[in-house]
Amino acid sequence: MAFLDNSGDIILDAVLTETGRRRMAQGNFRIVKFGIGDDEIDYSLYDKNHASGSAYYDLEILQTPVFEAFTQVNAGINYGLLATTATDLLYLPVAKVNEKTAYGDNIAKTSGLYYVVDAAGDTSTSRISNKLSDASVNYLEGTGTGNKYILIETGLDSGFGTVPIGSSENRESYIVANNLNDTSFTVFVDNRFFSSVRGVTSNSSVNNSGGSTGTDLNYSISLTSGTPTSLSLGIENYSGYKINGIANLITYNSTDTDQDTSVIGGPRSAMTAIALVVKAGISAEYTLYGSTSNTTRLASSTIDYVDTTVYIQGNTSGAILTLPCTIVRLS
Amino acid sequence: MAVTNFEMLDATKDVTTTRTLLHESIPLTGTLISGTYGTFPDEGNIKNYTHGQFQSVFDYPYLSSSANHIFDITIGYDESSALSESTALSTQQSKKINMYNQFSQVLLGYTGSTNQVRKFELDLDLDESSGTVMKEAVFLNFSRLITKDQIKKGTFSITLGTASWNADGAAPFELVKTLTDSSSTATAGTTNTLGGDYGLLKENGSGVTRGIVFYQAGVVALSTSSWASIPDFLSESNEKYTIEDTFVSQSLTSSCDAFRHRVQNITFNNATEINSAIYFCRVPHNKYNHSTNPTYLSSSTIRVKSVNTDTPIAYITTIGLYSSNNELLAVAKLSEPLKKEPTNELTLRVRLDY
Repeated sequence: MAFLDNSGDIILDAVLTETGRRRMAQGNFRIVKFGIGDDEIDYSLYDKNHASGSAYYDLEILQTPVFEAFTQVNAGINYGLLATTATDLLYLPVAKVNEKTAYGDNIAKTSGLYYVVDAAGDTSTSRISNKLSDASVNYLEGTGTGNKYILIETGLDSGFGTVPIGSSENRESYIVANNLNDTSFTVFVDNRFFSSVRGVTSNSSVNNSGGSTGTDLNYSISLTSGTPTSLSLGIENYSGYKINGIANLITYNSTDTDQDTSVIGGPRSAMTAIALVVKAGISAEYTLYGSTSNTTRLASSTIDYVDTTVYIQGNTSGAILTLPCTIVRLS
Repeated sequence: MAVTNFEMLDATKDVTTTRTLLHESIPLTGTLISGTYGTFPDEGNIKNYTHGQFQSVFDYPYLSSSANHIFDITIGYDESSALSESTALSTQQSKKINMYNQFSQVLLGYTGSTNQVRKFELDLDLDESSGTVMKEAVFLNFSRLITKDQIKKGTFSITLGTASWNADGAAPFELVKTLTDSSSTATAGTTNTLGGDYGLLKENGSGVTRGIVFYQAGVVALSTSSWASIPDFLSESNEKYTIEDTFVSQSLTSSCDAFRHRVQNITFNNATEINSAIYFCRVPHNKYNHSTNPTYLSSSTIRVKSVNTDTPIAYITTIGLYSSNNELLAVAKLSEPLKKEPTNELTLRVRLDY
């Protein structure tokens, strides 16, 4: 993976990916569209206060060496450019996990991981969910009927009390009017371990305009199965599921209660919740990709576990979130 | 992560195909063929087989994994050749006839109501006129590694030593004949047969045809006439052998060795046909000025802007070509970042070669 020679004219170095070669062998190689990426660029090198003037602002960026093209799909484009036509954007949405306790069923990570239960090792007297509760470990049920979820928010995280504040007017002008509102998300999971993903139903809702608690939180979140999508993460064995995004109508108020219910410091865009469904019958996977008969990860229990990563992307904003997860079962 | 913003390619305006022929010059010196990797005739880059039907020349001792197969040598004659009559004296006669027939049936095919295998001819007519039929031949079949798709017409040249035999020196090259296919061009001077186009190898100066070259097959068939006048095409144990004697009484391997001893030089250009698809990726001025790169934002604020009226900027390093199922089929990388802002519109020309 050498750098390309950038001493002369601009050249393009093109290769077929592994998928491209496979499609060619199968006789269904057909290119219909293109995307643009900037993976090598570190925009923090953009120095808009350079003393020598604007010609020097991006000097370091333009000198960034670019790697050769390589054939692995996941090494192609990880971060695409956005097709938004707005030119007056100063802010773009980000995605964050909301672990606030104001929501009854959302879970926080424990020791840096989101635990997902595989009940396959349970017996009539011993359950992994009980063991996790005893150890004060938050977890997703890992089934198609569980209530617990990981709550995701998107919006402009400019900082609480900082302009632009998270008012409904700013939500309209900064996000909705610029077509940056995520009405859906794609969740990518390793299909060796998960059989599907659940997301919020379209009639779920969240706002802080007069709930029964001191936070004024008013929410109704229920889950439904996501829809498999052809969108490719580019990592082998990963499948995508499209889930709903609902309007994140938590807004700034004078008593700052929005800070108790939201992790986005500015205008909010969307919210979603995800629950992961563990594939039935996985067993050898713990040996192949994880650890078995482990006695150190969960106190007083002998468990099998496999660590994996879940990726979530806003389908409009492109905002990206990575969730480290671990699937656990009793040995 | 997945790219979620795509620009469609219009097959009628944004995609075109081209065909290009690439040529490489292939020089094969006689020292490679004989004498460099050991003592003649037991060089390490010459591989003989137990079946004894042909001999392979490598560019390095063939037991090394670095060795590349260059070409094979064999000889043969037609069963109607005068040589095949001397059965009692002949060595490996059936193999020699088989080799001739194998080349001719693949390269020329059959003729007549009884499906006789055609005979090689030293002209372009294939009419089996008596003066031009080549009933005995030395065959060189070049590896696809060096001929690629074909030998370029009009570039083949072989220089052969036609003086007396001398096992330990350059004596065979005191007289040389250089055969070229200069009468062949891309559009004329060749005949199309079952094995592709073939052209004539004529002796420089006299213009006498002494062989033929099949361009697509990468096969050269040389007539014995280059050495017809010398009494010692091969000399061994104080015995002298004309080329006819060699063909009859010597094994295929010994005959190939004798021929190798007389090759001074072979040169030609190969040709590789490259079919390319060119995708014109048009990046409109009003799109792709923002990025999902994690470094693009600081506290949700676009780093390259101070106020919202500043021009948004992104830097392109990669173009991904996708299927309708969003599968990344090809990747193109720019040699340096390309600045993209609303004031410029780019057309990036991505060429995929097949």
